[in-house]
Amino acid sequence: MSDHDEHHHPSAWGPHDWTHGAPHNSWSPLIMSMGFGIFLFMLAEAFTNGVFNAGYVPLVFVGLFVSLVGLIIWWRQDMSFDGTYEPMATGAPFKNIQIRKVAIWVFLMSEMMVFTSLFSTYIRYRTGIENCQTVFERGDWMQQGYTLETGEALICFEPASHLIASSMWHIAPGAINTFALIISSFTIVQALRWAKKPFGTIDEEVRRKRVFRYLGSTWILAIIFLILKMTEWFIGFYVPEIEILGIHEHHIHSLYAEGYLINADHYHHHDWVDEATGATMLADISVSASTFYVTTGTHGVHVAGGIIGLTYMTFKAWTGGYTPKNAVSIEYFGLYWHFVDLVWVLVFPFFYLY
Amino acid sequence: MNREKIISRTLVIFTVLLLGMVAVPSATSLPTGVAGVKDSGCNCHGAVVSDSVIPTLEGLPETYNYSEIYTLNIAFTGGPADPANINQGGFNLWVSDGTITPSDASVQSWNPNEVSHTDAGNDQTSWTVEWTAPANDRNVQFILHTNSVNGNAGSAEGGTIGDEWNRLSIQISSPVVILEQANPYTVLTTLIVVSFVLLLTVLTFIFYQNNPESFDWEHFAPWVAGWLTTTDHKRVGTLYFLAGFFFLGIGGIMAILIRIQLMVPGNDFLTQDQYNQFFTLHGTTMIFLAAMPLINGAANWMVPLQIGAPDLALPRLNAMSFWLQPVGAVLIFTGVFSGTGADTGWTGYAPYIVSETAHVGTTMWVAGQILLVASSTLTGINFLTTIAVMRAPGMGWMQMPLFTWSILVANLMLFLSIPAFGVGLIQVYLDRVIGTAFYDAASGGDPLLWSHLFWYFGHPEVYVVIVPAFGIISEVIATSARRSVFGYRSMVYAMAGIGVVSFIVYGHHMFTSGMDPTLRFVTMLTTMLVAVPTGIKIFNWLMTMNGGSLVYRTHTLWALGFLVTFTLGGISGMFFPSMAMDLHFHESYFVVAHFHYVLVGGTVFGLFCGVYYWFPKMSGKMLNEKLGVLHFLTAFVTYNGIFWPMHRLGVWGMARRHHTYFISVDEVRGVDGEIITEAVLGALPPEAAGWNMFITVNAILFFFSNFILIANVVISLVRGEKAPADPWGGWSFEWLTDSPPPTPSFGRFENGEWHDLPTLADANEHVAHEPSRLGIWFSKLMVADKEEVEN
Ligand code: HEM
Ligand SMILES: [Cu+2]
Repeated sequence: MSDHDEHHHPSAWGPHDWTHGAPHNSWSPLIMSMGFGIFLFMLAEAFTNGVFNAGYVPLVFVGLFVSLVGLIIWWRQDMSFDGTYEPMATGAPFKNIQIRKVAIWVFLMSEMMVFTSLFSTYIRYRTGIENCQTVFERGDWMQQGYTLETGEALICFEPASHLIASSMWHIAPGAINTFALIISSFTIVQALRWAKKPFGTIDEEVRRKRVFRYLGSTWILAIIFLILKMTEWFIGFYVPEIEILGIHEHHIHSLYAEGYLINADHYHHHDWVDEATGATMLADISVSASTFYVTTGTHGVHVAGGIIGLTYMTFKAWTGGYTPKNAVSIEYFGLYWHFVDLVWVLVFPFFYLY
Repeated sequence: MNREKIISRTLVIFTVLLLGMVAVPSATSLPTGVAGVKDSGCNCHGAVVSDSVIPTLEGLPETYNYSEIYTLNIAFTGGPADPANINQGGFNLWVSDGTITPSDASVQSWNPNEVSHTDAGNDQTSWTVEWTAPANDRNVQFILHTNSVNGNAGSAEGGTIGDEWNRLSIQISSPVVILEQANPYTVLTTLIVVSFVLLLTVLTFIFYQNNPESFDWEHFAPWVAGWLTTTDHKRVGTLYFLAGFFFLGIGGIMAILIRIQLMVPGNDFLTQDQYNQFFTLHGTTMIFLAAMPLINGAANWMVPLQIGAPDLALPRLNAMSFWLQPVGAVLIFTGVFSGTGADTGWTGYAPYIVSETAHVGTTMWVAGQILLVASSTLTGINFLTTIAVMRAPGMGWMQMPLFTWSILVANLMLFLSIPAFGVGLIQVYLDRVIGTAFYDAASGGDPLLWSHLFWYFGHPEVYVVIVPAFGIISEVIATSARRSVFGYRSMVYAMAGIGVVSFIVYGHHMFTSGMDPTLRFVTMLTTMLVAVPTGIKIFNWLMTMNGGSLVYRTHTLWALGFLVTFTLGGISGMFFPSMAMDLHFHESYFVVAHFHYVLVGGTVFGLFCGVYYWFPKMSGKMLNEKLGVLHFLTAFVTYNGIFWPMHRLGVWGMARRHHTYFISVDEVRGVDGEIITEAVLGALPPEAAGWNMFITVNAILFFFSNFILIANVVISLVRGEKAPADPWGGWSFEWLTDSPPPTPSFGRFENGEWHDLPTLADANEHVAHEPSRLGIWFSKLMVADKEEVEN
């Protein structure tokens, strides 16, 4: 080790002195890894085969807390980053492109495979298991004894879209979300644009405010996305009577309230009633619900991850941390954010419309 | 005390605490932990043992007669029990061998070796049961727990307040005196703990050796903290090597226990249940916790050095990749020590993996694997980026050293395939945790989907572990033969070809799953296609030696050994794509022989070769050649002694993943103890017993032969000869810097820019000192464009 390094007494928990190269020692990786480990362990203890064990829930939060501590150390080291050390590619063919930008693109490649695998699962089950509506219309579910009395459920695929696309109101949260994400992709680009304006062309205070506001709006839009998603999954909402528009007062049930659940092995939809006997078709839809919740949920987790990142970035923007020298970090986040947006553009038709 | 010291001190303590926290899941599963009723006792009332309760167990002989039935009287005195109470007491009796049966309604049976009182039996202080002694020689242990109850069951306190309990343990011996049989869990735990303590001791010793004067906490804490927080690619590489070798040892210990079980037909050292966990953990450990970290160790160390980069592209992320591994490892091992570890095989096939019958440790195994997937993804990002963008000016794709190429190809394969495994794991995790139905066949889930996701990753994965070995061998053979590698370009295309083809062959793992015959045929052809690029590589290596003059060093020997064993593994591999053969060989020891020839004879030998080759560069100390040759000879011979006979056993039909086997002259007893003398279905020819014994002996010898390497490394670290910058006459960038290399590895960073990074021209300069064909080759191939160098 050269004396050069020793003079600087690099701290392993932040803020880093970025003026002489790559990050120094950091506690963050170790602590964050342990946080993830504790989290996964305790989550598995809190639920076992679908049985809830409340005693472990605080420990789940311990896991999350430890991960957060690691993340904060990481951020603390990054706060001082002012673009001094933005490593550039040395070799052809990427010469003079920022290295971290290449890394983000590589990362998105694996993200692509993650969603590909989820979609493969979906397609396997969607095409491999008979649709519940088809089964009902064929009408032989009665004769085969799939009735309430026998308590036996018929395995079939009930797409979430059957419920969601059933009314304009039901699909509203998803549709609004689509726009929220698209607009947020726009605001993040605006933040980048303002951060990138060359020194001297604008007042630095104006830059600080603009970047902060655009990142803040992106943050808010992402929050709206998750809130609406929770509304659609668990909460449901109320539609008031508006006579002029011909809207009648009614309740939009959440998917949860509709019984569209991962463990719904005795699901019955209000449409599937035999007019003559009044018997209801019982369906085991747990596979279709699993694919729906896990795929849209994985996307939701990506949005949540984005929110965590945006929280830090908005804070850094508020301190005036983004200047043309290091505006590119907004661009890197933007690449990820556009990807999350694009995935939604696929998830939405596949799960909400089809 | 200055601030730095306080901080590093607190943080080391903090880390120890956190590590402890992560390790608790494993610790609570120690034999004295949650091992079940036998150890934790019955659902004991009251918090503490009470001496006033005196349990008794009467009717036991000192030595039992085979299969005789004994009537046992269980009783206790003392404690709050009183005939006036609603309830008086309860018990739980566990026996290590034979079966216990209740003799009246006051006792119920949990399983053949465990009984307890019933509700009706709650109002008594004595009970009777019957014990059938085992039909063979055993030292039998009885463990009795009794509760003395004060009868406040109906009260608000919930009934157990004020109750007292005690425990009684009795051992009786068999008619013929036998040695006590070891408990495999105790053996495993002890060995792991001993290895870990040894590792820590050696590390502390090395710290002491560095500077005997400053051997105190004041210096120790910052030193440890420095390692725990490092982001330097060389130090992280060393950490990977440490972790990798440690787990290679642990996996080896499990392999030895497996082999002890298989030493003789019908052995009962491990039960079927224990055996399942041992081979699951053996496979998982070896692939994910030994082979992959060792490869990452070599890659971390060498890739930046070979391409002339100061460090990896994202150093902190690199540290993250590493630290996810030990945490994942702790989760993977959860439950193993108490008999509740994962028992699914390293492939974790559905639907068993999501069933409740699979051990609870399976969930943690899945969780640990998820962390390893995250780790591999981060590693992939780092290496792909580094290799793509941080090559020294002038070094084009086709001038990259072959080891770097191999890491590029391996990471590309891993990176594109592991997300499928990750998603599969998350699905399984959710199935096991919150109760989704992805692999629940009763709800229409398709277990084969898991096989698809797994093998879509799994097949590229086996190439991920072998391709870096190819890279190492290419470097070593070229250096040792004193010439450039023959057919550099075809080497690169062969590796890339393997990378592409490996994505379209995974169906060969599912031939027997009822696959469409047309697809089987297609997969058969694509699988056979893999042999083409692999063959090209082998012939190129041979041709490299043909044109050169071989210098025999330890690493040369390992490379030659690799050529033999890997080729044999490749040949046995060619039997499987052929459908008719695969149907016979599937799940037999022929498969075990094959994948060990490629994994041990390929990956592990390749890595050993790399260790001998690069150790002087990494540590600045030379290894002892004599010990090296001794290691090679012993390991090579015993290794072949283990796995060569397995081919024959496999052809005879010895089944893989089975805890025992029979030979055709074995007496086999039926349910009622009558002797069935005819050959059991699937019994092996009598010679199989001898071969299995032979294999086990060799396995133990192989295990110990590797201590020669460890001894060699430790001796050299403590008092090895100093290594020059280029001890073997290698010519890639890593041989340009000092041994060990400085930090940053190349250049220096000033005013927001890197200065003095090497260019390919520097490497050529270095080679120019080499009189031979090499110089000519370089002048033809590796001289960079003038402008590029100037930039
Ligand atoms: C001392 C050296 C070793 C011995 C004696 C040994 C022995 C064995 C045996 C007997 C089995 C078969 C268990 C069964 O299916 O019934 C096995 C399985 C396996 N071994 Fe090894 N092994 C050794 C080293 C390694 C190494 C170095 C690796 C990987 C780098 C490895 C990877 C595997 C894998 C992947 C399996 C399959 C596990 C499964 O079926 O899930 N082994 N080993
Ligand atoms: Cu394969």
